[in-house]
Amino acid sequence: MGTTLDLRMVFGQRQAGTSTTVAELPDDASLVAAARNGDRAAFGQLYDRYARMVHGILLARVPGSEVADLVHDVFLSALRRLDTLRDNSAFGGWLAMIARNRATDYHRRRTEMTEVPETLGRDDPPQAEAHAVLEAVRSLPEAYREPLILRLIEGMTGPEIAARTGLTPGSVRVNLHRGMKQLREKLGWSQDHE
Amino acid sequence: MSDDYLWDRSGKPDRDVEKLEQMLGQFRQDVPPPDFGQVPMKVREFPRRRMYRWMAVAAAAAAVVAVVGLRYAIQQQPATLYVARLAGVPQIGERPIAGTDQMKIGQYLVTDSTSRARIDVGLIGEVEVEPNSRVGLVTTRPTEHRLALDVGTLHARIWAPPGLFFVNTPSATAIDLGCTYTLTVDSAGAGQLRVIKGWGSFEYKGRESFVPEGAVCETRPGIGPGTPYREDAPETLRAALEKFDFERDSTALDGILHTARREDALTLWHLLARTAGEERGRVFDRLAIVMPPPAGVTRDGVLAGDRQMLDQWWEELGLHSATWWRMWKGPAPQVR
Repeated sequence: MGTTLDLRMVFGQRQAGTSTTVAELPDDASLVAAARNGDRAAFGQLYDRYARMVHGILLARVPGSEVADLVHDVFLSALRRLDTLRDNSAFGGWLAMIARNRATDYHRRRTEMTEVPETLGRDDPPQAEAHAVLEAVRSLPEAYREPLILRLIEGMTGPEIAARTGLTPGSVRVNLHRGMKQLREKLGWSQDHE
Repeated sequence: MSDDYLWDRSGKPDRDVEKLEQMLGQFRQDVPPPDFGQVPMKVREFPRRRMYRWMAVAAAAAAVVAVVGLRYAIQQQPATLYVARLAGVPQIGERPIAGTDQMKIGQYLVTDSTSRARIDVGLIGEVEVEPNSRVGLVTTRPTEHRLALDVGTLHARIWAPPGLFFVNTPSATAIDLGCTYTLTVDSAGAGQLRVIKGWGSFEYKGRESFVPEGAVCETRPGIGPGTPYREDAPETLRAALEKFDFERDSTALDGILHTARREDALTLWHLLARTAGEERGRVFDRLAIVMPPPAGVTRDGVLAGDRQMLDQWWEELGLHSATWWRMWKGPAPQVR
């Protein structure tokens, strides 16, 4: 029961537009094994499965304008290093680590560059508000901003975040709860905000 | 107020969360995948040995590029390593690790019978430390990362170019040559290197053993590394090697030669460098039976220590070319 429920949460979004059942979807370990043997289509499926996670991890750490290129960097780097992955079923946590390291590298290498505010030139009020809220999320402690971005922006559920990143469900839930509380305070929203 | 909706979208919708989802949804991932078909990658097995040779050449060229790139990338690594708790309450010195912590040069990571930890070795790899272990940080800089395993077990997975990661043990130094391995040290200082993937080596005062994937090498205080053997080597062969390597019992060579199979050619090849005169001749004869020498490799040449002939014979073992690790490590074990 528990396993079925978790799989439905993990694969829920992809099921919406396809007749493929959960049982028919290959697990990560099978896809990684196939990719290791040169099956690029299998790696493409891993991209479909993990792109939101990688995008969210990067968006939590680097300017939005850089994220698309870095998403590609992370997956290409993972493909090249795939043969160093010891446990195929640990692909998600391993990929998350590569994404976090890539974000760290990005900041190390751009210390001499001047950062342009992402809200510069955005006059449309709804757009400006959305960017301001995004900045508020990104100003939260790292432990909170990553799960909040995966939940609120990438549309992943808490159980899916835990399954994808290799974190425990308990820690994800606590960080979502505390992060949301801090975000409300930053935005000046009360608990019963309309 | 329940956070069920925030957690898994169940229960009564939280209006703040709904508003944020709607507002921020525009930033959601919509990056199409890159063309993975253009990316060269290693494939585990090739049908023909010729392919190995081409792979070795290509890997060597790629490794040169990787060395330059990686050495540049690690220039700015701090002189500390990050440590993450995996189980129980590991400690850095007397300080318990709750989540993650930093280990400085000179500090020790200590695990008890219930704790485990992971050390992130900068950008070059990671090390998992098993229970009842004591691991020190000797140095960490762009050109060298060195730990000391006093006792216990660690699993290292290193993706850096060869020769950047070292682990000192009481009886030998384990050198990463681009591999995944398990290193164990007992309370008497005796060690064992078990290579899961790639290559590793054990070194002590010029005595050196190269250990390929699927092989094991023992080491003893005051003596250094023994002769590597395959994980599936017969127990009688292991016992004979123990006597030959660590008890200096030359009569044990008979047992080794009698027991060695074709699969143990790795062991016999190493023994060519650890014997002399008549003993080396007997090792040659046995190796020639289980793995006939290729054309051009003669008994006289091998007994005289002809390195090119040793390399040619090594190629027959199917353990990748000898040339690549010569690139990183200099000469193979010297024939005395």
